[in-house]
Amino acid sequence: MSPTNVESDAPRFDNVLRIDLRLLAAAVPLVVLVLIAVPLYLIQITRGVGLIAGLNRPTYWGLDVVNCVFFLGVGAGGVIISSLVHAFGIRQLKVVGRIAELMSISSAVMAMASLFANLCWPTRMIYIIKYPHPTSPIFWDMTNLSTYLMVSLVYGYLGTRADLVRVIQKKPRYAWLYRLLSLGYTNLSPEARSRDQRILRVLGAIVLVGEVAEQTISAWLFGLHKARPGWYGGMIAPLFLVLATISALAVLTTSIVVTRRLIRLRIDDDVIRKLGKFVFFLIPLLGYLLFVELFTVLYSAEPAKLNVYHAMMFGHYAPMFWGHLTLGLIFPFFLLMVVLLRVSRGMLWSVGIVLLHFLAIAAAWLHFPVPYPALWHGLPVWAVYAVLWLLGLALLSVCAYAKMGEDVRIGLATLLVGAGVFAARWNLIIPSMGEYSYLPFVFPGYTPTVGEILVIVGVYALGGLIYITCVTLLPLVESEEAEEVKEVEEAPVQTEEAEFDINAYIH
Amino acid sequence: MPRYGMVIDLDRCSGCQACVVACKVENNVPFCSPKESSQGQEIAWIQVLPSHEGEFPNVRARYMPVLCMHCEKPPCVPVCPTGATYRSEATGLVGQVYTRCIGCRFCAVACPYTVRYFNWYTPHWPKEMDERLSPDVSVRMRNTMEKCSFCHHRLLKARDQAAFDGRKLKDGDYVTACQEACPTKAISFGDLDDSQSRVASLSRSHRAFRLREDLGTEPKVYYLNEGDWDVPDER
Repeated sequence: MSPTNVESDAPRFDNVLRIDLRLLAAAVPLVVLVLIAVPLYLIQITRGVGLIAGLNRPTYWGLDVVNCVFFLGVGAGGVIISSLVHAFGIRQLKVVGRIAELMSISSAVMAMASLFANLCWPTRMIYIIKYPHPTSPIFWDMTNLSTYLMVSLVYGYLGTRADLVRVIQKKPRYAWLYRLLSLGYTNLSPEARSRDQRILRVLGAIVLVGEVAEQTISAWLFGLHKARPGWYGGMIAPLFLVLATISALAVLTTSIVVTRRLIRLRIDDDVIRKLGKFVFFLIPLLGYLLFVELFTVLYSAEPAKLNVYHAMMFGHYAPMFWGHLTLGLIFPFFLLMVVLLRVSRGMLWSVGIVLLHFLAIAAAWLHFPVPYPALWHGLPVWAVYAVLWLLGLALLSVCAYAKMGEDVRIGLATLLVGAGVFAARWNLIIPSMGEYSYLPFVFPGYTPTVGEILVIVGVYALGGLIYITCVTLLPLVESEEAEEVKEVEEAPVQTEEAEFDINAYIH
Repeated sequence: MPRYGMVIDLDRCSGCQACVVACKVENNVPFCSPKESSQGQEIAWIQVLPSHEGEFPNVRARYMPVLCMHCEKPPCVPVCPTGATYRSEATGLVGQVYTRCIGCRFCAVACPYTVRYFNWYTPHWPKEMDERLSPDVSVRMRNTMEKCSFCHHRLLKARDQAAFDGRKLKDGDYVTACQEACPTKAISFGDLDDSQSRVASLSRSHRAFRLREDLGTEPKVYYLNEGDWDVPDER
């Protein structure tokens, strides 16, 4: 490649090695949070988990497992997105392919860190290899997690190395760094590039299958145990897959919106709208799956499951459930509807009023205990519902009339969806342990302690730091679109089938 | 092959908790503070569950000692990623290798009886107790799982003694600490496969039942109770 060509796509490398003050400002608190979490984690493993975490019998798994499963989902979804780009050539998503890869690598690290926070003997992890026990879902989960981390690294490397070589030419001062990152690769010839693309395409197809398996195995950490009636069942695996996909898209969209506000990034509004649309269409699917699961339990009223669901909906964990339903599903759905479908605000208002009305009736009918009753003490029930109703209307009005950029609105909606998926995972995992026992034990409920939350916040901060480092070091948008278009023009006309003919890649 | 099991006569149990104390002393089960206990972080390999029926003054209290069921098909064994928990083919006991446990707590999550206990802290005893720990049982370290072993160390001792005496192990040689301590002789222990043994005949009694047989775990702890015993749901 001639130097003139390098100059022509210079804006794509805009973010590379630019020390942005705002990024730096974001990194400082993250470092502090990691530094807070490390000693807490060390106390956990050297003195006992009980000193930090509020876990107990029988809620043996808490926030860290929920977090681990959440990030496994985000990472898996990220890899699915990038493999859709590479294996099935969905061009519209190409610009976000690399960010999706970065997201899945940092998610894998975060999932690993949460898992380590949960497994309290990091020094004994070798026993999983030394004394393997393939009947255990954890064995397969570990196998999967490590494979997936490796594969997404290889995937990211193959997709990025050509760009890294270009950065070497552009920033000779830091050539040593990029030579290290590209592992000495220098070939920029079109043949090498098309070979890389071929490998990525095959790898993408394999990874897609692998990720489905990965989420299924994560679900089987829970779904296979007859001892836990809330988990036991076949529904949990497809539910996990949908949760993974929607959370990955949501986290990806949010992080692109945030990154775009922080640094110059050549990703236009249209891409964000497309991602928002994906999330928009997945919200009803998720709602449907959750509804089917819920309705089966409530209708059949099998006591074991009903106890768990009762605790989830009206007991100790009720704020999580209703919070997810309203703020994680319904509210972002309307917000996205306003932005994407350009629904008239009057229309939205009327739909919103009717819907909230039905919700209030349903809540009254179910004797929904209002969260934090002390706040409402002394008020008649209808007044409480009226207040909630007005609150909902106010939220709807905000989403309809507030002055903010379209991308911010989509980002806000997807942030809520992402947080909602976390709440959904919590609802699927936590109440099943503490809220039903086959024996008349009396158990304390589980509430995460401050220490536990700080450890998890540290894990998030670690992920954020990895992301910021990558954003500073790597070209975020693939610089090869232009070439690819040329390549397609030059190539003889191919039919659709020929493009997916696997034999062509074997020979 | 012996298949050790236990029979607990609920009609005899007075809820005195002597079995709980005996077990704690015998097996070096760590102490816990009231705070830890209220957080649900205590360890008790055997626990007496009270259940109260009726309203004052017509109250009837019943007690049920609950310990590891040593299931024939234990759900905790297949889920362990390292094989730290296992079912012994030779004795039918479900054991735990403390030094191989990675502390993932999967076995505890998979156990329907909630009888697996986690060392949330480094175990500690009052100074006086510290010097009187049983030398036969290893003290478990922090962040590992532990549970009732049916006093496995006593089996080893009984076997040694029988070999020394030049005879075979007979019913009554191997007794557990809880059985020994029970003042009402509610607990019997022995080989369920030995048709002559006391437990085998008791386990065939019309009063016998096991906890949650519908789950298919085939527990080896039998309970005896006249009439129906509905596991009460306090919720």
